[in-house]
Amino acid sequence: MPPRIVVVGGGAAGIGAAGSARQVDPDARITVYTEYEDAAYSPCGIPYVHGREIPDFQSLFLQGKEAYRQAGIDIHYERRVTGLDLGDRLVHVDGEASVPFDRLVVASGFEYADPGVPGTDLEGLYYVKNIRRAIEWDKVLDDVRVAVVLDASPLGLEMVTALAHRGIETHVVDAHPWALAEVADPDIMQPVEESWAELGVKTHFNTRVEALVGDGKVRAVRTSEGELPANIVVVYVPWGMVAGKWMIGGASFGETLATALGIPFVMGTAEGISRARYYPGVKKVRVKLLAEPGSLRLIGGQLVGQEGIKERADFLAMAIRMGVTLEDLAWMENVYSPPIGALNEPMAVAAQNGLASVRG
Amino acid sequence: MVTFSQWLRGNSERYLLESAQAEMARRYLNRPGPPAEPGLGPLFWRRVFVPVYPRLPWRLRRAVIQALPGSHRRSWQAREPSRRPPV
Repeated sequence: MPPRIVVVGGGAAGIGAAGSARQVDPDARITVYTEYEDAAYSPCGIPYVHGREIPDFQSLFLQGKEAYRQAGIDIHYERRVTGLDLGDRLVHVDGEASVPFDRLVVASGFEYADPGVPGTDLEGLYYVKNIRRAIEWDKVLDDVRVAVVLDASPLGLEMVTALAHRGIETHVVDAHPWALAEVADPDIMQPVEESWAELGVKTHFNTRVEALVGDGKVRAVRTSEGELPANIVVVYVPWGMVAGKWMIGGASFGETLATALGIPFVMGTAEGISRARYYPGVKKVRVKLLAEPGSLRLIGGQLVGQEGIKERADFLAMAIRMGVTLEDLAWMENVYSPPIGALNEPMAVAAQNGLASVRG
Repeated sequence: MVTFSQWLRGNSERYLLESAQAEMARRYLNRPGPPAEPGLGPLFWRRVFVPVYPRLPWRLRRAVIQALPGSHRRSWQAREPSRRPPV
């Protein structure tokens, strides 16, 4: 009897799990439940379509529905899973009988938090997640003059930039003193703020949202610093780490979080370049490393720049996992080739600076 | 239903982070920290908990952090360090 695998959620994780299960066991009976009309698209790409960097929403779909049918993955669309009975191994689905399973994968994704202020029932609040709603909102954006994004968290950065690219007067309201304050340090985020200013984005940090104001439809956001007129309010959007012309990357935690927890650390910073200094298109790369005193094992790393950030962030994540030290990193081998790598790798220079600070 | 340890973690995380953000904002941006929330509860966390926390021995703080619920309790799988060349 082939195993019955039930996956709750039709996003990247759910479809990825279903695809992996199919690879491992070609005979498995795989059923996916999603509450939406579509599956396997990238909600993270939605802001880029709004910002006109990606021409259409169709590009965000990994494959058509037929491809999953042919792969033997039975996706039930617009079916909401209402309960799990782990004892009897049953999934309860709205509009269907209880479904038995041998293996269960829960990949239900995120749910929006209530902003916790009056006015959340007004029209004009854009919760970016569902691609069909995004297509409708994209038409609405043509007539929007002013937009307010609540919270410059990882979830809001992409949308701020997208709306500004669209020529919309964009305000971002955040109770923290800088963008992405819960995961990144202010010196890493400073170029992002400057880039937003160039795009005309108006930032309102250290500002609390008190209410969404309107009569049926939102017309303003009342904050601790006054009222901001708005045609739409973007509440939260999926994960994003590109803001303005900058990319931000990192691994583990930064100086702010280490300070908050009282975790001792050694720090090394550097501002380097992505290619040879004379090669066209060279960009700055700012690196900030944190290491454990004594062992000098890497415990955190942050980067901001305009190219080569993602790859370095991936590398740092692996370096932390493998217990790499500042010493290892300071004298690491690195590619030098004028179009793709500078003579001095910025991460190595940051590690060398960290070592120098320890050794006086 | 929020358990005591979830309540403790939620509040300590929030107010310690708020204090650290204020310190970082002053240091790097010459900008003040987030405005203080009114009320006795926030006053306790800001005026009592936040100043006392860093004075506690690191071993005690570490033990409490480890005991609180959260993803930090799930670690990577331990592995033997391998420093020899692959061939």
